[in-house]
Amino acid sequence: VEITKKDENGVICLTITGRLDAVTATDADAMIKDITKEQDTRLLFDLEPLDYISSAGLRVLLAAAKDLKRNNGKMIICALNEEIKKIFEISGFSSIIPIADTVASGLDQLTT
Amino acid sequence: MPDETNAAESILLVDDNPTNLQVLFQTLSGQGCKLLIAKNGETALTIAQKAHPDLILLDIMMPGIDGFEVCQRLKSNPATEGIPVIFLSALDDTKDKVKGLQLGAVDYVAKPFQADEVIARVNTHLTIHRLKREVEYQKKQLEHELEVVSDVQRRLLPKAVQSITGLNLAAYYQTSRYAGGDYYDFAELPDNQYGILVADAEGHSAPAAVLMAMTCALFHSYPGAPSQPGKVLRYLNEHLCQFAEPSFITGLYVIFDANRRSLKIARAGHPPPMIYRAADNTAHEVPCKGVFPLGIDSYDDVPETNITLDPGDRLLMYTDGLTERFSPQGELYGEERLLSQLKEADANDPQLILDSIITDLDRFAGGQSADDDQALLVGVVQ
Repeated sequence: VEITKKDENGVICLTITGRLDAVTATDADAMIKDITKEQDTRLLFDLEPLDYISSAGLRVLLAAAKDLKRNNGKMIICALNEEIKKIFEISGFSSIIPIADTVASGLDQLTT
Repeated sequence: MPDETNAAESILLVDDNPTNLQVLFQTLSGQGCKLLIAKNGETALTIAQKAHPDLILLDIMMPGIDGFEVCQRLKSNPATEGIPVIFLSALDDTKDKVKGLQLGAVDYVAKPFQADEVIARVNTHLTIHRLKREVEYQKKQLEHELEVVSDVQRRLLPKAVQSITGLNLAAYYQTSRYAGGDYYDFAELPDNQYGILVADAEGHSAPAAVLMAMTCALFHSYPGAPSQPGKVLRYLNEHLCQFAEPSFITGLYVIFDANRRSLKIARAGHPPPMIYRAADNTAHEVPCKGVFPLGIDSYDDVPETNITLDPGDRLLMYTDGLTERFSPQGELYGEERLLSQLKEADANDPQLILDSIITDLDRFAGGQSADDDQALLVGVVQ
């Protein structure tokens, strides 16, 4: 898995490429925790290049959402491909983590 | 020298030249090790096999079996392969050094040697060898503990598949290593109804096994008859929320009503059941709304889905460790292939259907071990 980070008008954007599974989740979790421990963070995940997510990967995103909630932050995940979207729907995570169709609309939702 | 004879570690010194042996012996005396000596290759091999020293200092040029040959034989014998060997020889040729290291020696000291150097190298390799043994010991201990957890966990699963009027069942359970987070269970209810639970604690090994055990305890402590699937999942969730974080458990609970030949389904983050309809020879996932997994947050409402079944229909409930098995080429097994296996299985006995699915899964994985635990229940409607 490869995670790149950039700043868009005060929103931290993380692009996750490849597979987020039991093998890669630990490193991803450590990197994301560094961001979500801060107060008032607005975090956007661009999952367009994400090929696969397992339940361990879902746990990482769930932990990020929970940490941000505690620290007065906001989070959104964007641009899920059909398979990943199906995983979020079947697992019910689409009802607890905000999802946007595109990065642009995700940015909109975090900045307004 | 009492400290030498009582020491835990021993070193075998091998040299055909008595003077050299004497010098080595004196160099290493007083280092707190027991010193053994051999004057030729054969004796060295015999002593190594019997006394199992912690280190061997081995001369190369010896009549009979030379040092290279001794090293080779030590390394090809499981009883002695773990003993580190340091070559000690007048040869100071790079080719010989390389050959010695390729044969499995850990180090090389050229003669004439400096006493301090020999002592330093010996101590280094004794320390490495000792640490290696400790790591191996700890690993064995840990594996043993995990096996114990695994044993306890197996006892939490039903001893046999529930005998259900009107629905023949077979079950499969496999953990990725020792203990795992998958769980299934049954409840016999009044009026010819039966509850079937499949759950999957996120992750595997010991932490997942603890959550699995908790889920089991909660299911068995449900107040009254667990005959309303939505309520049962709410009950499990309410309690699991108190200690599951940062993990979670997916759950699928269904009630089979043998009198009505119907199924009532509630789902928390878990894959929906799959069904094969005998009448039109099709297999599909049962469309059923669900809630997010157990142990994250409270639920407003847990939706239930009702379906009716007909004789010959097949029901399949599973954990995602099954559909998330990978082929050597990195492809996922996936729901589609599982559905087609459920449809194509040429049998009406649930155990045979289950066996054919597992055979196909193993063939697909091509020897790749599973990353996650796997549970599978197959039922055939009578």
